[in-house]
Amino acid sequence: MKFPRTMNRRTVLRAGTALAAGAATGGVLQGCSPEATEPQAPLPFTSGKPLPWTNWAGNQACTPATRAVPASEAEVIDVLRNAKGTVRAAGASHSFSAVVPTDDTLVSTDLLSGLVRHDPTTQQAEIWAGTRMHALGPMLHSVGQALPNMPDMDYLSMGGAIANSAHATGTGFGSMSSYVAGLALATPSGELIECSATRNPEVFQAARTSVGALGIVTRFTLQNEKAFALTEVNRVETTEDVLADIDNRCRQHRHFEFMPLLHSDLCVTIATDLAQPGDKDEGEDDPQAINTLRSVFNAVRWLPGGDTLYNQALTTFMAGDASTVRTGPSFQVFPHVRVVRFREMEYTVPAEAGPACVREILATVKQRNIPVCFPLEYRYIKADDIWLSMFEGRDGCSISVHQFGDVDFKPYFAEIEPIFWKYEGRPHWGKIHTLDARRLAALYPRHWKDFQEVRRALDPQGRLLNAHLKTLFGA
Amino acid sequence: MKYANLAALGAIAWAGLQPWSAHAELTPRQNALLANNCLQCHARPSTGAPVIGKADDWSARLAKGDTALLRNTVEGYKGMPPMGYCSACNEDDFRALIAQLAGKEIGTP
Repeated sequence: MKFPRTMNRRTVLRAGTALAAGAATGGVLQGCSPEATEPQAPLPFTSGKPLPWTNWAGNQACTPATRAVPASEAEVIDVLRNAKGTVRAAGASHSFSAVVPTDDTLVSTDLLSGLVRHDPTTQQAEIWAGTRMHALGPMLHSVGQALPNMPDMDYLSMGGAIANSAHATGTGFGSMSSYVAGLALATPSGELIECSATRNPEVFQAARTSVGALGIVTRFTLQNEKAFALTEVNRVETTEDVLADIDNRCRQHRHFEFMPLLHSDLCVTIATDLAQPGDKDEGEDDPQAINTLRSVFNAVRWLPGGDTLYNQALTTFMAGDASTVRTGPSFQVFPHVRVVRFREMEYTVPAEAGPACVREILATVKQRNIPVCFPLEYRYIKADDIWLSMFEGRDGCSISVHQFGDVDFKPYFAEIEPIFWKYEGRPHWGKIHTLDARRLAALYPRHWKDFQEVRRALDPQGRLLNAHLKTLFGA
Repeated sequence: MKYANLAALGAIAWAGLQPWSAHAELTPRQNALLANNCLQCHARPSTGAPVIGKADDWSARLAKGDTALLRNTVEGYKGMPPMGYCSACNEDDFRALIAQLAGKEIGTP
């Protein structure tokens, strides 16, 4: 998630420093927040020993016996044919869920990167699946194209983004998987299957969101748009005002999302539209702003009436801030720098259930006095027809909860996850959740069995199933 | 083929960095890994990561020694994610890439 520059270092530090100083003077600052309990890396590194693999968030790790780094499609096929044990692929290692860990064969897609071909008449481009989003933007721009929409950070590999149906926000825009017009899939048996809506359509519908359970995708054809520029405007507003006006906001803006601030009446709104002449860029986000929010929270939250004080502090120091603006080529405006470690759970509920669901989460955090200050994230995504997409058959509202990476996320997420279930939420495949095959099957009544049939046909021995995928698919 | 694509991607970041390219001889594969992983932060000052070849950014880090730098790279440290996003990198790759970023000879203290 991004943290808009409205909450800039100068503004919030002013609050944080004053409040923290006051608390320290009282001599009781210690113990005001959950203590850091989580190591940055679950597995230590020792020179000369096999390298551990660890995900970005530091909550998943393994020590694979073999690391394969294929540099061509033929090498991918060769690796799959000859690999021993459970085979899993890794891109940028940004998933929070255990989709990657294997102690057998880990396949890195780092070297499968770049533009294969493009077509200026259809605005389609074929890319290698290991291409990172930060590279894809300039790559497409150089041929006059752009992704219609992009997530709020560009560290992901395209292979991982599409395997897990990564998404951004905008009621008129589908997930990253929905922009795939065709793909090439290397299967565990060493076959290469080219597929699209008209060619091997069942494999196509399964492979556009597969959690990596069918093989390793080597190439994607993306349906892009002509390159365009965007302007993003951030404001601090009142959450209830935004929710009361949410339909209008979504209609008025190409992309709209907001981030409710827990234990507060406020939120940060992010509205993004096509750039207009005269739009002036005000610069990059402050990537450390979220840590400043944490220091404010820690400084006041333990005090009698801490919630009220925290709310007042944020209102005093933030609500009056003018809006901030970022403008430029789309691939530079969509993503934000992300350097503060966190863990994330996200469910997608039916779009119309979004306001009620987020209200219940906010009320629950407040009523149960859950000590967390990391903002929520609230986004809309257009429906698609991809079998295991979180947006299959219904417009979705994705709501994310986060906890800092050095704090145990489980107690907080355990309080919130049942709320998502109540609203028929579908968990993000790449983020933290506790559902198994039985419960997931109920969330995908139309195509769960179809997907399983394709999966069993392509990987009858379950060579791609690590422990997590066995839980997901009941295999 | 992919190396060529990645080399093109990293071209902008490489421009002006030639004084440092003499310090560590990277293989074509390592150049690709550098472009795909390291430069997204280390050639982007707004991230707070030490900038490639900028001695002031690296002096305190180099003072910790090669072993500590390597461990922090693999395990992650503050804003530096575990493995620096590079699941393809082996220990030799990490040593070479650190040297390239920091503008030092591989193995020198």
